[in-house]
Parts: sequence; structure tokens; C-alpha cells
Amino acid sequence: MISGETALKRAAPFLACLGLLALWQVASLVLKNDSFPTALEALRAIPSILGDKEALINFAASLRRMATGFGLAVVVSIPLGLMMGRSRLVASFFNPLLMVIYPVPKAALMPIIMLWLGVGDIAKTLVIFLGVSLPVIYHSFQGAKAVEEKMLWSGAAMGLLAPQRLIRIVFPAALPEILTGCRTGLVLALITMITSEMIARQSGAGNILFNALDMGQYDTVFAMIIIVGAMGIGFDAVFERIRARLVRWSEPQFDIPLSFS
Amino acid sequence: MNARVVTSDVLLGLLPIAFLIALWQALVSFGYAPVTLLPPPGLVFGRLLQQLLTDTFRQEIAATLFRLFAGFSIAVVLGVAIGLAAAVSPAINAVVRPIVRVLAPLPKVALYPALLLLVGFGHESKIMLVAADALFPILLSTYFGASTVEQKLIWSAMAAGTPPRGILFKVVLPAAAPSVLTGCRIGLVISCIVVFLAEMITSTDGLGHVLVTAARTFQAVDMFVPLITISLLGLILNGLLEALRSYLLRGFPEV
Repeated sequence: MISGETALKRAAPFLACLGLLALWQVASLVLKNDSFPTALEALRAIPSILGDKEALINFAASLRRMATGFGLAVVVSIPLGLMMGRSRLVASFFNPLLMVIYPVPKAALMPIIMLWLGVGDIAKTLVIFLGVSLPVIYHSFQGAKAVEEKMLWSGAAMGLLAPQRLIRIVFPAALPEILTGCRTGLVLALITMITSEMIARQSGAGNILFNALDMGQYDTVFAMIIIVGAMGIGFDAVFERIRARLVRWSEPQFDIPLSFS
Repeated sequence: MNARVVTSDVLLGLLPIAFLIALWQALVSFGYAPVTLLPPPGLVFGRLLQQLLTDTFRQEIAATLFRLFAGFSIAVVLGVAIGLAAAVSPAINAVVRPIVRVLAPLPKVALYPALLLLVGFGHESKIMLVAADALFPILLSTYFGASTVEQKLIWSAMAAGTPPRGILFKVVLPAAAPSVLTGCRIGLVISCIVVFLAEMITSTDGLGHVLVTAARTFQAVDMFVPLITISLLGLILNGLLEALRSYLLRGFPEV
């Protein structure tokens, strides 16, 4: 019985996918719009995109930029966020700057950055870097702020220096929160990747998507949406696995339906 | 925290911004960057003030704000309603949970072409995109806030004879308010970003369109103006939300 229930739980996201696709199929059959292909037509267009060598090169270029931008952002943002969380001086130094930058769409900086750095990889990677770093900084900051003082005091009493305390106490204690930030950052990296390629049409998955839109190849448009969506869901699921393993010790949140109804 | 500490904190925070502007000015003054690529800050801010006085620019801002608020309001209403429902009823939870798991990490910008084809190039597609993007942070934090309400509070309300509907609105929603407002804050920033992007992709008005027009004609000065405007708008809206938050949460212990 229990195994049946867990199996159902495992299958639930797939069922949700199927349900959404079915909904799409019905909607497109009802609307009968030329520019709205059915789910089946879109799914049928996927193999031809993935079989195309040029498209695969585009995807590889996209993923490479995304990985570089994401990696760099994580490496820079986590220490910065942790230091902001532990020192009021650092926090009040950086906070207003971050608040000014936060509402600016990072991909909208593309046109300006392109003027300086050209349309190549550097500009796009930089934009992804900017997009990822803010949530990671913010969550590391919150995580480091919530670390129990007592643990730091005992660390200090046992002779740990400030940088050691940051690495050996604050970082592990803030890890669940940091990983939440990284998860948001991962989705943002994908979003920024697509939008940056849409603005600087040169290569990449976003380029295929918006070129198809301009040329009116609607089944390619929708097939690309499925592919990009699947990438987002796939990355998120993999990251969630890693996260769950890394922070197995922290108490599970989020799973208590209220009982009063 | 006394007033002097706060002012010194603010001054310290202004340092990096001032430093950036100084660096910007220095890059131009010492000739490292040509004025056509990097206009001096004085020129950009002067242009911003000049633009703010014109009617056309104010109409662009109004168009952007309208889409932003419409999308954001839809996201707040739907997010809070679905989040609460999922936290309260196990049946709804079982349906909503997997759907949210699938849809939340989906990059919504990729859906924009589909929205364009379905509902056209007008306000609707942009509003729907903003709503779709702002919905999930609000929904998730409402759900989180509502499902971590202390059970004792609910039991006491039940013991006092409050009907389920009363418990939902008088106990669960207020107790979840801090979390809901945090979600709204994230959703608001996302709305600013998304509305701008949507306008950059296809639009005939709005701040994003101003940027694209300037970029096509290589008017570097005019490219900075909408970016600074959206940053200022974000700051102002954030400040308003913060004020609303401290008003709504006035009875709460410091969060």
C-alpha cells in the first residue's frame, strides 16, 4: 500500500505533464487556429530539431555559456553573501547597490554590453552571470544571518579565526538556504540564456526559437518551447536531487497540509 | 538601532554607488571609452530629467506600469488563493503540487512566443507573461507560510467555535502574512524585469520599447535612460511595498 502511494507520488509530475499536454491538445483542437499547432504536431517536430547537427551545436553553445555564467556567479556570490550576512559593515556597503541593480532586467543590459564587448560569448556569459548572482547573494546573505550566534561563539572560544569560522561554521549552517538560492539561480540562468540569445541573434537555443517565430514555423516554435521547458524541469529535478543529498541533515520543510477542514 | 547608526549605514551604502558613477565619469574623462559608447553620467541623468518632463516618455512609463500592475495583481490574487487552498485541503494539494513542480521551473519567457501567437501583440500577452512569472514565488511562499502555521492556533480557534471559513481568514491568512508579503516582494521584482523584457521583444510602447529603439539607432544615451528609469521604478515600488508591509504587520514581532 505504501509502495503504491510513493509510486503515485513519483509519477505525479509525469501525470501533470501528460495532463497539461492533453489540455493543450484539446485547446488547439477547439480553437482551430493556424498558428496554434496541436501538442502532437509539436511533439512530432522535436526529433527533427534534435536530429539536426546545426541545432545541436547551437544547444551546446547555449549550455556552455549557461554553465560558465552559473559557475562563476556561484563562486563569487556565495562568499560575498556570507560575508554580508556576518558583518553589518559589508552588508550596508553592498545592500543599496544590489537594491538598485535588482529590478533592472539583466538581459536588457545586453544591447549596451554588446556595444562594448560584441555579440560573442563574453557578453552573453556576463549577462547570465549577473542574472544568477543576485538571488544567490540574497539567499546566502539570509542564510548566514540566521546562523546561531552560540555556534560562532563556541567556534571562537576554541580558537577558530574569523575566516575559518566563515568556512567551517557559517557555510555549512547556511547551506540549505544557499542551495535554495542556487536553485532559483539555475532557473534564472536558463531564462537569461534564452533572452540574451533572443536579443543577440547569433547562436543558441533562443536564436532557434525566435527565428522560427519570425519565419512562421509554428510547430518548431512550440517544439522549442517544449524542449526549453523540459530543460528547465530536468535541471531543476537534478539539482533538487543533489540538494536533497547535500542537506539531508536539515529538517524537511514544506510538507504539512493543515488539518482543520 | 539609533538614528546615527542608520545614517552612517546609509552613507556607507551610497559609497559603492558613488564610486561606480565616479569610475564611469573617469572612464569617459580620461578617454578610455568613446562618448558614443559610454556617455558621461551627467549627460545621461540630464537626459533622464529632460525626458521625464516630456509627455511621450511619461506615456511610455504609464504603459509599462499598467502592464506591470495588471499582471502583478492577477499573480497576487491567484497565487494567494491557490497557495492557501493547497495548504488547507489535501485533495487540492495532491492536484496542485505536481502541476506546480512542473510549471515553476519552466522558463516562462520561452512561453512568450506561444502567448503572442495565441492572444496577439497587445497588452494581454504581456500581462499574462508577467502574471505567469510572478505567480509562482507568491504561490510557493503563501503555501509555505500557510502550512507552517502553528497547529495550536487552529485548535484554539476550533475550540472557541470558529467555523472553518473563519479559521482560514482570521487565523491562517494573518499568520501566513509575513511569508505572503515576502513572496509578493520577489514577485514584484520579477514583474519589473519581465514586463521590460516582454516590451523589448515586441511592443510599440513602454520602456522596453524605448530601449530597443535606441539600440537600433545606436543612441547610447537613450539606452541608459529606460534602464535607469526601470531601476528607479523598482526601488519606488519596493519602498511602497515595504511601507505596506510594515503597516500590515504592525502587530507582529520583529521579522
